[in-house]
Formats: sequence, C-alpha cells, structure tokens
Amino acid sequence: MKLFKELYQYREFLKTSIRKEFRGKYKKSFLGVLWSFINPLLQLLVYALVFPFIMRVQVENYTMFLVVTLIPWNFFNATVCQSTSTIIASSGIIKKVYFPREILPISNVTSNLLNFLISCIIIVAALFISGIGIGPSIIYLPIIVLLQYIFSLAISFILSSITVYIRDLEYFVSVLMMLWFYLTPVLYEITMIPAKFRAIFNLNPMVHIITAYRDILYYQKTPDMLVIFGMLGGCILLLVLGYFIFNKCEKKFAEEL
Amino acid sequence: MILRKSKNKDDVVIKVSHVSKHFNVYYDKANTLKERMIFFNRNKKEVRNVLQDINLEIKKGETVALIGVNGSGKSTLLKLLTKIIYPNSGTIEIKGKLTSLLELGAGFHPDFSGRENIYFNASIFGLNKTQIDKRIDDIIAFSELGEYIDNPIRTYSSGMYMRLAFAVAINVDADILLIDEVLAVGDQHFQEKCLNKMKELKSEGKTMVFVSHSMDAVKFLCDRSVWLYNGKIREDGNTDKVIKEYLKECA
Repeated sequence: MKLFKELYQYREFLKTSIRKEFRGKYKKSFLGVLWSFINPLLQLLVYALVFPFIMRVQVENYTMFLVVTLIPWNFFNATVCQSTSTIIASSGIIKKVYFPREILPISNVTSNLLNFLISCIIIVAALFISGIGIGPSIIYLPIIVLLQYIFSLAISFILSSITVYIRDLEYFVSVLMMLWFYLTPVLYEITMIPAKFRAIFNLNPMVHIITAYRDILYYQKTPDMLVIFGMLGGCILLLVLGYFIFNKCEKKFAEEL
Repeated sequence: MILRKSKNKDDVVIKVSHVSKHFNVYYDKANTLKERMIFFNRNKKEVRNVLQDINLEIKKGETVALIGVNGSGKSTLLKLLTKIIYPNSGTIEIKGKLTSLLELGAGFHPDFSGRENIYFNASIFGLNKTQIDKRIDDIIAFSELGEYIDNPIRTYSSGMYMRLAFAVAINVDADILLIDEVLAVGDQHFQEKCLNKMKELKSEGKTMVFVSHSMDAVKFLCDRSVWLYNGKIREDGNTDKVIKEYLKECA
C-alpha cells in the first residue's frame, strides 16, 4: 500500500523517466522513432526469407504466422535484456536522491510496452494486407498484453536488482534469451514438438503467451482461457516474489554501485 | 491531523535511535562471479564503523547544525536521514516531507534547457506537474538566470548550474530540509541570498539540518548544534557553546 502511495506521489518522475527512456533510445539516430517500425520489419524480412526458402518450412502464409509472434517476443526480449542494466545505468541519481527505486524497472517495462504498441501497427497492417483481417477474438488481446506486462515486470524486478550484486548476469542473460527464443514457439508451432517433450515445454510461461497471440491474431480463435487465468494468477505471484527480492536488494544499492 | 501537528510545537519530526552504520571497505573488490571464484582469498575487507549508536531527536521548527572534522560521519548521517542508505542497526523515524540538498542537480541532463531541467529535477523530489508549474516563476527568479533559462545547461558556468540547482531544491516546499555544505560554490552575493532564504524558511517553521564548515553560517542560522566526533555525538546543545568547545579542540 505504501508503495502505491509513493508511486502516486512520484508519478511525475515516473512519467519523465518513461519519456526519457522512450525518446532516449533513438535520440542520436537520424530516423528516430521510425526505428520502432524498421527494426522489426527488417528482422521479419530475414526470418521470412530464411525459413520458407532455405529451411523449407511447410507452413501456409509463414510471414503472417511469424508477424503475430515475433513482435510480442521482441517486446519481451528487449525488456529482459535492458532490465539487467536499468539500476546500474541510473547509479548517478540513486546515490544522490531518494525516490522509490521501483520506478526504474517499471519505466523500463512501460517504455518497452509503448514501443510494442507502436509496432502493433505493423501487425494490424499486415493482417489487413494479407486478407486475414481482425476477428472478434481480438477482445482477448488486452488480457494477453497485460499478462505479458506482469510477467516482464516480475522478471525485470528480479534481474535489475540482482545484477547490481552479480554483474555477470548481464552477459549471461543475453545468451539465455537466445536459448529461450528457440524454446518458445515463435518460429514454429507448439504441435511440432514431440508429445513426450510437450509437458516440459509447457513449463515455459512464454509458450502460453506466444501461443495465445497466435490463436487470437492468426487463427482468430479464443485462446485457452483456463490456461490464461492460471497464468495470470501465477504471474501475479511471481510479481510479488520479484518485488520482495527487489525490496531486499534495494537497501544497499547506493553502497554497491 | 496536520493542524494538530502544527499546534504542538514540541513534536519530534526526526527521531534517530541507536543507529549504527558500518561500511565494508574492500581492498580489491571481486565484482564478477569469475573473480569471486578465482580470487576468493582476495576478498579481504575491512569494516569501518562510520556511525556508532547515534541518538538524536529533532523537533519541528528546529534548525540544527552538524559540525565536525572531515570523516566524522556528518554526510553519512544525512544520507541515512534521506533513506539513500539504511542503518545496520537502530531505527530512524521521519514525520513529514523531507528534501535533501546533498548533491545539487540530481537528474540534470546537459542537453536540455534550464527550464526543462527544472521539471526533471523537481519531479525527482516528488513534485507533480501542476505543483512545478506553480513554482517555476519563483525558481527562475531565485536562480537569477534570466534569459539563460532556455539555454541548454551544458553551456552554463558552474555557478549558474549551482544557482539553478539550489533554486529548485529550496522551492520544493518540504517540511524538513537537509543541507550539506552546498554553499561553497556561488559568489558572496548568492551565498548571502541563500542564507537569507534559509532564515526565511526557518521563520516559517521548517525544520532544517545543516552541515557546514563555516562557523559563521552556522551561528547565523542555527540555535542548536551537534558535534560529531569519530562517529559519535561528542556535544549537543546551544550553538555558541558547542562551537566554542569544537574550536578549542581543533586549535
């Protein structure tokens, strides 16, 4: 409760901090925020060429199959990779003034969310151009985005605080994210995994989030709501745990940095 | 609630009880996991006690000076009060909104204008947009920057930078102000202006904790002084008396 009161009091700082992170990302580049479009488009182009033509993946309309999952994955990937440096990058103000430190991971995830929402224009445009369009299942989309936001925030809390003590994490996480990418059905369908391994794969929360995106946008069907609500509960628990870890660690930030 | 508080002048707003703080000083700190594993024997550390069993009560409206030689723990005590660092033992209770002028210009961004930086800096102190809008004219007037306020602050001289930072911090409208030897920069005129502003805040009933090596400023501003010596409170009481003792020791 005290946290929410403080966050409300410092809301202006939260806003400036999100704005700074969002704008600062492309500040020195010519194309600016346009990179939010160009980057995923180019990445998409690479995968859309490599998989159907070189690797011979037999999926109908593979580019669309990819668009709806790759952009949400990028949101997750960017958040996690940046989370390891959020606290360290702000060491200047942490050592000088008091403010609720939670603002830093929150603004990391939120600025990436804004970035994601902008990139969503690509998804919508692609859905219309390809003729798939948007079905009524779209109403479930905000729940999935919320779910992903909570999950990312929980991870961001944990990684940002622990990296202050163990700086290696920063390098380890970038490799881990590559592995995580291939263990998540972004480029393929979960049904391509042999049934005996499926149970292990299902332990990965991103499997369900990414599958839900594909169900809603590509197949235009209702995602498995039982799984989604179970995940929502699990992620909230993880967020509480993440906040607890962050809270334990933050007391010594000023001394360790 | 607030009414009751202001009526009762003797309310304790800062209560420090049995606070101790030590820092671990590593000779050659192993920061990464690899270094930690390879050089496990290199992790020699020395525990330095900076503050030992500090007890301090400051009442609403009091202006208290912390004096002492370098390394006696004054700044550490102020950092503990702002919650930048936390004590190893003991408790600190603060009532009311607290602002610190420990290091001026936190969050200043060199590429943005003075005006924009006022918003950044004041938001770190917990002000929202309407509150800053209301104060911005006072802040600019106090900083005496005039037309320079819309120039990027990387073009400022160090004195201008300091004036802007001080102007923001002093206008935050906190109940408790912590001030750490920040007047060292700035010319005679601005120093006097700051001291007068602080005197004005004092007469408005703000609580202040003031760290300074300038005994004149301390005498001008504070009724009560606390002398820290090697992490302990050596003397606490009337400013004239404490300063006399302190100077005797220093001489």
